[in-house]
Amino acid sequence: MSIEKGRISGSQLLFMFAGFVQGSALLVDFTIGITEQQSWMVILAGLVMMVPFILSYAALAKRFHGKNLVQINDMVYGRFLGKVLSLYYIFFLSMTLSFNILDVGELYKNFLMPDTPFIFLLAVFAAACAYAVAKGIEVLARVSHLFVITGIFVIVSTFILLIDQMDFSNFLPLFELPLIRIIQGIHILSAIPYGETLVFFMIMGRLNNTERAAGYALGGLLIGAMNLLAVSVRNTAVLGRTQSIWTSASFQSIRLIDIGTVLTRMDFLIGIAQTILIFFKCSLFFYALATALSQLFGLKSYLPLILPLAGIEVILAATVFQSPVDHAVITQNAGIIYSSPLIYVFSPLTLLIAKIRSLPGHERGGGT
Amino acid sequence: MRKKKGVTIAVIVLCVFMVFALSGCLGGREINDLEIVIGIGVDKDEKTGNVLVTAQIVRKQAAGSSPGSDGGGDEKAFWNVSSVGGSIFEAMRQMTHKTGNRLFVSHNQVVIFGNDVAAEGLQSYIDFFLRAREMRPTVLILVAEGRASDVMDAKPDTEKFPAMNIAKLVKTYGYTSHLYKVNMKDFSECLMCSEKASFAPLITVSDNEGSKDVFVPGMAVFKNGKMVGKLGHGEVRGVLWVLGKVKSGVITVPSPDGGGKAILEIIEAKSKAIPEIIDGKIIIHVMVEVELSLSEQTTAENLATVPAFGKIQDASEEVVRKEIMAAFKKTSELKADIFGFSEMLYKKYSKEWKSMKDNWDDIYPTIELDIDVASRVVTTNLLRNPASPKEGEK
Repeated sequence: MSIEKGRISGSQLLFMFAGFVQGSALLVDFTIGITEQQSWMVILAGLVMMVPFILSYAALAKRFHGKNLVQINDMVYGRFLGKVLSLYYIFFLSMTLSFNILDVGELYKNFLMPDTPFIFLLAVFAAACAYAVAKGIEVLARVSHLFVITGIFVIVSTFILLIDQMDFSNFLPLFELPLIRIIQGIHILSAIPYGETLVFFMIMGRLNNTERAAGYALGGLLIGAMNLLAVSVRNTAVLGRTQSIWTSASFQSIRLIDIGTVLTRMDFLIGIAQTILIFFKCSLFFYALATALSQLFGLKSYLPLILPLAGIEVILAATVFQSPVDHAVITQNAGIIYSSPLIYVFSPLTLLIAKIRSLPGHERGGGT
Repeated sequence: MRKKKGVTIAVIVLCVFMVFALSGCLGGREINDLEIVIGIGVDKDEKTGNVLVTAQIVRKQAAGSSPGSDGGGDEKAFWNVSSVGGSIFEAMRQMTHKTGNRLFVSHNQVVIFGNDVAAEGLQSYIDFFLRAREMRPTVLILVAEGRASDVMDAKPDTEKFPAMNIAKLVKTYGYTSHLYKVNMKDFSECLMCSEKASFAPLITVSDNEGSKDVFVPGMAVFKNGKMVGKLGHGEVRGVLWVLGKVKSGVITVPSPDGGGKAILEIIEAKSKAIPEIIDGKIIIHVMVEVELSLSEQTTAENLATVPAFGKIQDASEEVVRKEIMAAFKKTSELKADIFGFSEMLYKKYSKEWKSMKDNWDDIYPTIELDIDVASRVVTTNLLRNPASPKEGEK
């Protein structure tokens, strides 16, 4: 039984990966306080560290062609343990989606629409994501390249407009910070922008050809990571040591654009780009959550779950944290701990067990 | 069919609600209800010791008239409103008792701190300007030699708004390079580094036959956010040579025959400062390259000759060297590392820096400067020879 009929191509997967990682551009700020001028290194190190795990996702998608995460868990761990593990994944998807919706709300509350009721911002954003999810994965995949191009355009244009204010000595000294802070930074980076690509477990099953899935996934990850790197380099070069004091380093650096006193107040650029990219990321999260839940409950379609889930996510986002300080501290500490086993343990473990048990074996091509 | 109709109605209702909620009109304020602030002054209130904030507000009705028409009190295009509070934010909100509207600071150009506030330290005053959503990080910072509120009242006849005039004075620093524009972001960066000093343009009011003018006599030097001294025009340019911020300016040197002066314009200046530690001694190698033009001469001698150019270039290099040394001497007396040598050392010698960090104030004056200036006169502008009798005709 398949709850989704849509199919995506390899190149669409590439753009989806890239757009998804780009959607975390503002989350790079999480590490700035810890890794300061060495944040760019952490972005690259996190990327390198995540490569084997992304390869394990692709290997699973290839091995269990046409299957999604819940189906794979059932096949590898058995019905009971598989369901428990799937519930863990669903918890991760649900919490992370609500955090991302909250990020959008905070972005608007802080910088763009401070007087609009917070809950309304969250609800409208969730409704937009729900609409996209209801259209199916194919529609999201078809427009994914537009999201990526928009993101790249904004990052490149702001980089160029700020080039006269960049001081590349801000990256010095190169190896100053204690190793423990670098490791913490790498962990945050690999768990948040890169590790969240776990959602593709629910999407890669829709690939029409899984042979080159690993290449497309890694290519997309690389494009996304280069975007994060450009954002981090821009912020450090422009803001220097002050980059750690601002609520959003990206916003602050863009507020400094002043070309002949004419090209100023370009905040809207990042507002538009970030909204589009987080929308794309949240839609993929939402899709993964809705399909995983419907698969778990054995529903024929995920569509009836969309609206109730949107409501739950909005309520979670609005109530889960007392303040933005809570949000940052919990995401940086607890958030990456609850997601770590899923990112670093279960996907390689699932692959290993599947290999040992020669799964899917006779079940290959069959449903659960 | 009925279900589809219900969904359509729900979508239409939702869209109507969204039009009201997301159009931005919730936070919309009409221009008539805005008190547009273009300059802010911060002083200490002499009576209470609290903060006295003066905001320069655009008077929209008068703003459209020509600059010459605002001589009279009632015709001014601006309105300076003052208010006292325990903090800057409190004082700003107290102002609504006088203005009737909340102040709109998004177009603010300058923040001027009074001398008393600067001496006390800007650390406790600057937070609001960095944190406020409407405030731009590109807002310029200045320090008044007296009270900020006095500065905000003085302007030339050609300008309508004192704050705009002050911002213009600072933004055009490049004509002389005797001052430098410092914005909120730059200043906050220096506040975060306890070893590095920062500076901000000084501004003072001069009485010019009854009318008040403003004038920038130099820069105020800050250490850990507190004003510790002042730099004059030459000293400021000495700092800017090292920082590579000299845009243009005038260098005057004696003419080779000693009968007059050669006045040179700085066309372009580049510099590089590289720290080096040799046997525990800190040496900063400063390399300055200047391109000059002969803009004026007060002697009849033809200066557009190879030997004369050589002498003029040598003399101009000496001027640059002297300005740098004067700036270093002054900042050594103040123990204020305005050049950012501490940061250069931290970036290049981060291990050694750890042992220097705590004694930096004592180490700074012992630094040796190795200055290498290379100047080149690249043009004589429209004259090849001065308008004077030729050699044989004298």
